[in-house]
Parts: sequence; C-alpha cells; structure tokens
Amino acid sequence: MTAARPVVVADRPEPGEPRPYAFPAFKRTRLANGLEVIEVNLPGRPLIDASLILPGGAADEPDDLAGATVLMARALTEGTERYSAVELVEATERLGASIHAEAGWDATTISADVPSERLAPALDLVAEIASRPTFPVDEVARLRDERLNDLLQARADPRRRAEEAFVEAVYATSSPYRRSSAGTRETVERLTADIVRAELARRFDPARMTLIVGGDLAGIDIVELAAERFAGWQAAPGTGPGRVVDASPASLERRLRVINRPGDVQTEIRIGHPGARRLIPDFHALSVMSAILGGLFNSRLNRKLREEKGYTYGAGAGFDLRRSAGPFAARAAVATDVTVPAVQEILVELERMRTGLVDEDELQDARDYLVGVFPLRFETPGAVVGALGGIVVQGLPDDELARYRPSIEAVTREDVLAAARAHVRPDEAAIVLVGNADAFLPALEAAGLGPITMERDEPGDVAAPAVAGEAG
Amino acid sequence: MPGPTVRFTDQRLANGLRLIIAEDHLAPVVAVNIWYGVGSKHEVPGKTGFAHLFEHVMFQGSAHVAKAEHIGLIQSVGGTMNGTTWLDRTNYFETVPSHQLELALWLEADRMGTLPDALSQENLDNQRDVVKNEKRWSYDNRPYGSWNERTLAGVFPPEHPYHHTAIGSMEDLDAASLEDVRSFFKMHYAPNNAVLSIVGDVDPIAVQGWVERYFGGIPANPALPIDLGDLSLPLSLGGERRETVADRIPLPRIYFAFRAPAYGDRRLDALDLAGQILAGGKGSRLHRRLVRDERIAQDVALFSLGLIGGASVTAGWVTARPGVDLARLEAGYWEELQRIAGEAPSEDELARAKALTEADELEALQGVAERADRLSMYATLFDDPDLINRMLPRYLAVTRDEIRDACAAVFRDDNRLVLTYLPAEQAAGDAEAAA
Repeated sequence: MTAARPVVVADRPEPGEPRPYAFPAFKRTRLANGLEVIEVNLPGRPLIDASLILPGGAADEPDDLAGATVLMARALTEGTERYSAVELVEATERLGASIHAEAGWDATTISADVPSERLAPALDLVAEIASRPTFPVDEVARLRDERLNDLLQARADPRRRAEEAFVEAVYATSSPYRRSSAGTRETVERLTADIVRAELARRFDPARMTLIVGGDLAGIDIVELAAERFAGWQAAPGTGPGRVVDASPASLERRLRVINRPGDVQTEIRIGHPGARRLIPDFHALSVMSAILGGLFNSRLNRKLREEKGYTYGAGAGFDLRRSAGPFAARAAVATDVTVPAVQEILVELERMRTGLVDEDELQDARDYLVGVFPLRFETPGAVVGALGGIVVQGLPDDELARYRPSIEAVTREDVLAAARAHVRPDEAAIVLVGNADAFLPALEAAGLGPITMERDEPGDVAAPAVAGEAG
Repeated sequence: MPGPTVRFTDQRLANGLRLIIAEDHLAPVVAVNIWYGVGSKHEVPGKTGFAHLFEHVMFQGSAHVAKAEHIGLIQSVGGTMNGTTWLDRTNYFETVPSHQLELALWLEADRMGTLPDALSQENLDNQRDVVKNEKRWSYDNRPYGSWNERTLAGVFPPEHPYHHTAIGSMEDLDAASLEDVRSFFKMHYAPNNAVLSIVGDVDPIAVQGWVERYFGGIPANPALPIDLGDLSLPLSLGGERRETVADRIPLPRIYFAFRAPAYGDRRLDALDLAGQILAGGKGSRLHRRLVRDERIAQDVALFSLGLIGGASVTAGWVTARPGVDLARLEAGYWEELQRIAGEAPSEDELARAKALTEADELEALQGVAERADRLSMYATLFDDPDLINRMLPRYLAVTRDEIRDACAAVFRDDNRLVLTYLPAEQAAGDAEAAA
C-alpha cells in the first residue's frame, strides 16, 4: 500500500503555540525582629528549598583575614549549643534532608532541601545552626587545615592554577577580587575559632537576613513556621555590606603572565580584565553580547576555536557579575602546539565584538536562547529560590525576573555593540597562560602581544610543610 | 513517604524504535532522550575511543542539517542538549520549550536516518582534534587523571570489552577513518537499537503521530542485536593487584577498586547503600574516622559503577593529608571495609542511608531531563522502564545482612586493586631508597 517512503522528512517543522510562562509569584512578610520571609508556592514540587540568606560575604572581610567568611560558613554546621557536628548530620539525614552553609563574595547562605512534610523539623535545625553555633576550636582548626591542603591541590591542577594566576594578574593589590574568596595560604593560616566567631557576631543580624522558602507549600503556613523559630532571635545590630568593594585593575596595559609547567599537555588560557557590576543599566545588552561572544555553543569563540580549528574541547567567555566588577574572562584549554595562534584568535574575536555590529542572525539566536531557556532554568525550587536570593543580595527590584524576557527581546544590535565597547577591552587585558611554556615561548615572544612575565612551577613547590593534623 | 510515581506509555514502532512517553504539565518544557544500545564495549581492538568520537560526529550534520546546526537550532529555541558515551551505551538528549518538541524530534530523526549523507573528512578531522583535546582536558592534564583508565584495565582482563575506557587512546583516535564512521553507523545506529523517551508538557497522541512521521521511515537493522558473547567474570581478581603511580600532585591518594556484581544484581543495590554508609557525606564511617577523628585524610570516596556486561566496579579513594604514613591510611580505610563485611550496619545507619537515598531519588526525578534519561536507561539495559518506579522500593527493601554479605563478597584481599598515587619527587625518593 505504500510507495517507497523517504527515510526521513526533509522539511523542518514549525513551532507550535508557545504556552505562556511567568516567573512564579512570591510574597514578602517581615517578622517582628526584622527578618524578612519570602515564600514562593510551586505546586507539584514536594522537595522544598529553604534558604536563609545574609547579604555580605567574602568581599566584606578584612584583607588580612581573607577566607574568614568562607571558613565561618563551613564551620556553622560543626556544632551548636544543642548538637555536636555528628549529631547534627545524623538528625539531618534522618529527615532525608540536606543542610549546608556556604559563603560567596556577596552573601552567606544556610539552606535546607527537605520533603515538604518534614519542613518544620528541618527549619528547627536551620534556626539552631544560624542562631546558636559554637565553633569548636578543634573543628575550626581541622577545617582550616583542610582549606590549606585544598590550596595545595589547587596549585597542582592546571585549571585552578590558571584561575588563581588570572585574578592575581587582573586586579590591583588593593582589591579583594585578586584572591580566592576562600583566602590565601598566608591569611588562612591565621584563622581561628575566635576570629570566625567574631566574624559571625559582626554580621549575623536577623534584621538584615531573608528566609526564602520555595516548593509546594499547600497547607503550610510559612510565616507562622518561621515566626515560631526565628522571631525570638535577637542579635546585636550587624554591620551591613556597606563598603564599596575595590575592583581596581592591576594595569591598563595588555600584558602576559606565563606559568611554565613543563609536563603539561595543554595550555590553560585566560584573557580578561575587571568586568562589570550586577547593577548596571545595560545588563540585558551585556547578557546578549556575552552569549554571542562566548556563551552559546555557536558563539564566536567556540565556533572559531573548536568547530573551525579543533584547538580545544571548548572555548567561551563570560562575566562574573558581583556587587563590584567581578572578572570578565575568555577561557580555553588548548593543545600546547597551538597556544599562540589560539591566543591570537581569541584577541581577534574580542576586538571584533567592539568594531562592528553583530549579524542579525547572531542577535536573534542569542535573544531567542536567553528568552526561551528562561522557563527551563526555573524547573526546580532550588533554582527559583536561588534567583530570588540574587534579587535580595544584589538589591534588584522585585519585578527584575518578570521584566527579564521583554528586556532581552528589546536588545538591538547597536545595544550589543555599545555593551561590547563598554565592557570588553582586549587592549587592557591580562593574558594568562599555564602550560609547557618551553614549547611555545619563542613563538609567543615573536607574536609581540605585550610584555611577558615568566614564572615556573617546580614540582617541589606544591609540597606542603609536612604537618599532619592532630586528633583532638 | 511514598516515592514519586512516573506514569508512562511504552510502545514500539514497526521498525523497532521503542517509544516511551510520560506526561508532566508542571512547566512548559519537554525532554527528549535517546539511548542507543552501543557503547565503548562494542569497539574492536585498535579502535578504542571510536564510539565516543562517533558521538561527536553526530553533531556535524546530516542530510538536512548543517555542521553544528543541530546545537544552534536547539539553543536558538531556548533549549539545552548534549550527548554522552559510556561503556554500555551512547545517549543524546535535548530539553526544549514544549512547543518546540517537533523540532527536536526532527533533528534526532534526521541524524538517525541520514548521518553519512553529510560526512566529510574535514569534519571528522576537526572532531578528532576536539576529542583529543577533550581527553587531554578530562584526563591527561589533570592530577590523578589516569586512575580511571588504570582501574578498568586492572579490574577487567584484556580480552574483556570493559578493559578500556570510553575515551580510548590517542593512537586509535588517529587511526579512525571515514569508513569506520560509515560502518559503525550502519551497524549500530538503527531504530531497533534505540529507545526514545519523551517526558514533559506534551499530548501523547500528538507525540505518537510525530514520532511515526519523523522516525517511521528509518529502516531497522536486522543484524541487531549484536552478541558480544559470554562476558561473565568471577567475582574475584584472583589475587591482589598493586600499582604505584608517580604524578604531579602534592597529596598522595590511594585508590581502591573491586570487581562487583553486574548492574541489576540485588547485591549491587546493597553495595550502593554500603557506599552511603561508608563514604556518603559527613556522617559516614570513613569520613568520620579518617577525616574528622584521626585527621589523616583530606577526603574519602566509595561508589559503584553499574555495568551490565558480567561485572561492575566498586571503587573509592582516600587522599592523604601532608606527611601522613600511607600504610596507616590504607590500613584505616581497609579496616572500615572489613568491619562492614564482618558485621551488619546498625538499624540507625541503614535507616539514614535509606533516607538519603530516598531524598537523592526524589531530587533527581524533579526535572524532566533526568526522568527521560532514567526511562531510556532502564529500557535499554534491562528492558524494563518501570524500574524508574521500583528502584527506590528495591533500595528500601535491602536488609542489614544483605549489606554485610555483599560487602563480604566484594571487599576481599584477592579482589582488590590498590593504586597508590605519589608526588613524583616522593616516588623518585622511594625508588632510590629501594634500589
């Protein structure tokens, strides 16, 4: 009954009718002690994410105690007035919950993931951790030693080594962004339980904190649950993340920093400079520009370095938008023998973003991607709560997420060019190369890309002072 | 708490394509996931890494799709996508806004039906370079990067198809030809070797019509399935194996690996729970003893890689703190494995491990992409997609004694591979001292 049927259908199908999507509505309530509660009901999502967020993070700590905030967050779950660390873990596990505390540049967060019927006991534990941590001397010392060992591991891993060398090359010594948010060997060695405790006392103030709860909240009175557990929590007024974070560049000249690791079989490339703050008027134009340059699979960088040249498994670029200007970086790991041409191709693409309008197709693809992927990004409660946390921490308006898609749709080719000219500056970039420099240095010098600083990692460099922790 | 239930339909097209559909209208998104029953275990000597290289070629265009256009189209509608290759299978997946489902189906069908039409030496050479850089980036240029390869080589005999990794060797990648691509496609990439799972905001009747329209004309390969012969192996390496590896690392690390029962065997479920009890987080035995109490370890791990072809791998590691006596570290880790092999875990430990497993399962199944991947997996490996609903009850039914017995069967002296990674300068010093 059939004539020879073609193997496949030649014509590309047309899209169906898009189903409307809106970022979930949320509600704010303030408790008597100033703690703000944000609830977002997500029907059909029984795994609840509850996050207690304190604006202020590693950017707000004294330079000589860098790493104190991250260590403080890690140590929060090491014991409370009622529970030892092990008891706390066991209690959490019995609830089928996970609770963790962490700090980044701009915020410190204690969050719980828990099935909705066990939300109340999980919130008990979050409240206990936030308001009555004990910071046992011995456990803080252990976590500090683990961080020091992690720094050794970071130095041996080419990718982590490149990130570390990159921010050191990008930022002035006056900027905290010059280091890892978890601190440096020199500063972490100083950290003690007393310092961590003082850091907490200085900051933890319910009046400046927000509890965000997302998931299927049918039949759950979040405000009441929160009030029972948090309303009685009083603390000395903390200091806000008021200070302006210094994000000064180390230099306005293009320069190269080469870390020679003779055994490496790839070169880790980082090219960039201080990027942008989160609170900028051209955020949406920047997002589209960044997707075209180095965000999409078919971005200019990946198309050129991977799909045309085969230099790398992947090339990209992006902005780390913080309260102050976090780094802009183009990144790729390339075969050693193509290091110099890869650097040159990246520089060409960065310059090209600034010198001409993007194609209409490039603009359309990037906008459509950012608009279309928006609902996919917020499938789970954790993602929704995380986005609301960003609003709280960065001081964005409540309609920021609702406005996202129309704002992206409105970005023009001219806006993209303006964003590139404002935020991508290859002539001011630090170029950091971590790899077998013996193999590419002559070609690099001949390329004349800028002044070169050479360093060499010796295998012994990473060997630690031979100190094992003592059991306490 | 009852586990989540995934309701789905399960049918086959005339050409053998298995189609599984699960509706979920919570968000306007849909996941499309195809598992092909071909993995690195189907590679022949001299062609290691080929299944994975082939997976890359699948993104280089087909009769009606240009090079890199597949990814470009999916991203331009706001979708995400990828493909992965493993010992037992290869998978390809997209998550897209639900009104773009037809596009994703059309793209998958075009490459399943017509990949060789767009094949070129230039594209193959390009992706060969990309894959070689992937190997450098994922393994060769990483601290401890060779453990994966050494573990498979040590746990499986040379004639067994799990002896080599999915990434393969540089020499074999160099040797891959266009003819290899064509014959691999012809043999393995047929609808009767594929499971297509679609999960999300869809109308199943419309989906069935589209799948028939786009995939129904692709011919089956009557030569499938391929019989790899009897892959079964004794649950023993036949003696301890030890290897010391010099690497550019600051902290020594000891890797352990064991031959374990094949995926699907209840004993592997018990070993998964044992992994949770021994190394699953801060409350686990190994973490508590070696990291927290004795403070001789920086981190610990223990987990199983489930494989269907005769045996799986249970593997783990412990990273030394600086200056620690490695013999003591190894002994401490080993004692904990022996302890659980000799004495069943406590009720409370097992209850916590089950609660965590339940939470992990609940979390994993939240998103449509993971649900689609699991449906494809259980259908491909076990001909039983409903395992998506029965795995959790299976874990919850494991007893204390079953955990002890499974550990006793696997954590044995004559079934262990021990890889000791040492900083190069320390390894050189040790060699000198021994000479």
